[in-house]
Amino acid sequence: MKRSFWLVLVFIVALALPSVIGEFWVHVAIEILILGLFAVSFNMLFGYMGQLSFGHAAYFGVGAYATGLLLLKTPLPLPVCFFISMAAAGLAALVFGYFCVRLTGIYFAILTMAFGQLIYYIIFQWYAFTGGDNGLQGIVPPGWLLNVRHYYYFTLFIVIGALVVMWLISASPFGHTMRAIRDNAERTRFIGINVRRYMLINFVIAGMFAGLAGGLLGPFNRSIAPDLCNWQQSGIPVFMTVIGGPLAFFGPMVGAVIYTLLFALITGFTEYWPLTIGLVIILVVLYLPGGVLGLVQKKWIPLHSKKLTPGPNGGAGEEI
Amino acid sequence: MIFAQFMSGLSRGMMLFLIASGLSLIFGVMNILNFAHAALWLVGAYLCYTFWYLMPNAALGLWLSIFLAALSLAAVGWIIEAVLIRRVYDRELSEQLLLTYALVLIIDDLIKIVWGVEDKLIARPPLVAGPVFIFGAPLDSYFIFVICVGFGVAIGLWWFLKKTRYGHIVRAAVFSREMVSALGIPIPRIYTGVFALGIFIAGLAGAIQAPVGSITLGMDMAVIIQAFCVVVIGGFGSLLGTFVASLVVGEVYAFSILIWPEGALALIFIVTALVLIVRPWGLFGTPART
Amino acid sequence: MKILKVEHLKKSFGGLQATNDVSFEMQPGELAAIIGPNGAGKSTFFNLLTGYYKADSGRIFFKGQEITNWAPHEIVRLGISRAFQVSNIYPAMTTYENIRQAILTKQKRTLNLFSPAAGMAKKETRELLDISGLSSFADTIAGQLSQGDKKRLELAIALGCRPELLFLDEPTAGMSAEETTQTMELVKRLNRELGLTILFTEHDMSVVFGYAQQLTVLHLGAIIAQGDPGEVRQNATVQKVYLGEEA
Repeated sequence: MKRSFWLVLVFIVALALPSVIGEFWVHVAIEILILGLFAVSFNMLFGYMGQLSFGHAAYFGVGAYATGLLLLKTPLPLPVCFFISMAAAGLAALVFGYFCVRLTGIYFAILTMAFGQLIYYIIFQWYAFTGGDNGLQGIVPPGWLLNVRHYYYFTLFIVIGALVVMWLISASPFGHTMRAIRDNAERTRFIGINVRRYMLINFVIAGMFAGLAGGLLGPFNRSIAPDLCNWQQSGIPVFMTVIGGPLAFFGPMVGAVIYTLLFALITGFTEYWPLTIGLVIILVVLYLPGGVLGLVQKKWIPLHSKKLTPGPNGGAGEEI
Repeated sequence: MIFAQFMSGLSRGMMLFLIASGLSLIFGVMNILNFAHAALWLVGAYLCYTFWYLMPNAALGLWLSIFLAALSLAAVGWIIEAVLIRRVYDRELSEQLLLTYALVLIIDDLIKIVWGVEDKLIARPPLVAGPVFIFGAPLDSYFIFVICVGFGVAIGLWWFLKKTRYGHIVRAAVFSREMVSALGIPIPRIYTGVFALGIFIAGLAGAIQAPVGSITLGMDMAVIIQAFCVVVIGGFGSLLGTFVASLVVGEVYAFSILIWPEGALALIFIVTALVLIVRPWGLFGTPART
Repeated sequence: MKILKVEHLKKSFGGLQATNDVSFEMQPGELAAIIGPNGAGKSTFFNLLTGYYKADSGRIFFKGQEITNWAPHEIVRLGISRAFQVSNIYPAMTTYENIRQAILTKQKRTLNLFSPAAGMAKKETRELLDISGLSSFADTIAGQLSQGDKKRLELAIALGCRPELLFLDEPTAGMSAEETTQTMELVKRLNRELGLTILFTEHDMSVVFGYAQQLTVLHLGAIIAQGDPGEVRQNATVQKVYLGEEA
């Protein structure tokens, strides 16, 4: 009950936001939405599957380039471009994920990183197709989205739609199976789950939504550069998720708000943004494991108050 | 031409070895992947520049600077381990990775603050300034120096790990923390020592890199990824593996740059991915740890 | 038809022959035990049967279907499940979720991406909670259960897979005498009432002789005796290598 109250409140604020803030902050808000979606998709792997991907920006990048190229070279409507972005990123995730899900832990992290860098170099070097290190310029959204406030609402609804779908997945038997794999992969194998296949499906889902987030970026920035698929970019969803809290569905979104606002504020008066965010990360890792939402859950929500149906002999166990 | 390219690959490989050996040692013993390794390597280069700058016209200026830079960086490594890394021994892999990743961001900005954004250049002493001719091919004499140092460190590390008491303890720690602490040796002290040693080698490598070309901000970013690749290919914690993999990566890079310059780095990533898929513990590692 | 048939199974680790030419059969509806001193190869045998290890040679059949070296999940889907010696549960999930996960998997609903899991398999999950005596701990995080309750949960998860053939690796390890009796009575009931074929290993000889209809004695990876409890008790080799030590 409490959570739905907060969600409705956030939704109303999100709707009202563009009429009370200036254009600069609308830009910031759009960035929060796009990067938040990117971070939530990353957390499908990290929070729900228990594997740290250090190459998730590659799928963000593939999505961004797909929509960017389609807008520049074809007359396809934007929503169709987004679908193709998701499909392209999902396909890339299928090919590379096939190998990545064979590994876990540090090896998973490094292999995702190596593949991510591979995609980055392909985009970086393939001048004829991707424009190489010049990136793509002049990606213009359709007329009705030229106004930044319109683009904000457009992004808001797409991101909400994507979040709803991912939330449904996380609450589905499939989502619970991912948690089971995170908690004890061996046991999951011995109840009859093909663990690698499930991890691969999840990898593809995460890649598709990263691709959607990437697709939203081009028409917003009017340009894209290969840098948005390299490993430094892959660090951003990791930061956001750790700041916000990987064990809560909205954790990465909260992290995206904090990270992006901090970025907008700090870069206003110092060029030393990496130094600042580096210090923030160290503080969070040392003193706030579980992130902001982890802290909120610990402080205000009694532990293990998971709502389940009362058992037939209920009462003796934990509180419902 | 081929020979010159081979030697350039060899010196590149040796530089990678100097960086990756510390990385591999730290991972092997402490199970921590140090993202900040190349950032510290770059600090070594800048420190070397500063020492050299402060010692104008000294005959042994550069050589002394290299030594001082490596030593001061070892102290930095010592402090980082004692203040930060030690707190996350028992944490999850992701938290350890993030901590060292955050260090990269901090160190790179600190470099910018301390040394500014201009490239730094060290004038080489005459001994290693000109080319030497081997088999009639002109070779950068400094490359020879880099290669010698690489071999020297490899032999020194091998001797340390195989022949000394401390080396035996460190090697035992790779296999079992419990065993070593059962012997009554305090694990934190070993960890601090290993970390400082790894960073010392990184500092040495950075200082030696300094006179190769100009020292530039952001040089560390490309290097860390390649060092990861080397460590993965060779096998975490294997000195021999790191050595062989460094040479392979150095040579692959040197020759593919002749044939297919755009694909040189991509090729290294493909090799790395292949090794990870087929033999995640690397060519010379043991599959014990996954 | 035999429900389980093992022919000349072999597995070695380095120089150690952990399973040495083992041939073994089970009739449907049997309740049988494997005994042997520590290191006799009981767990290795289970690990071979459930796909945890790959056999060096030999063949394994389940209801006439060869399953040698199948992946664990494929074997489970066919109708063989196991409870581990060291409880192998989901420590971060509730007891209820632990059991439901096994049931949802058996019901082939785990590829359902869009309907909430919360309302699914309620009846089946509660039934299993009830049978295993864990109803009052439904909402407890499994990692916080007592050692004995973890073992019960381990058994409940194995049952959630709805097996025809069930392997129990020391199902009462770490349990009190009272818990042991409860658990073994449950095992007996599962065998009698549901017709489950069960193979278990056990240290406690009173449990073994009290419950098993058939006994197989392993020593150094090989079978040294087989038969009903009476026969095995009389077997001279067994007394020498095994029962002698216990006395």
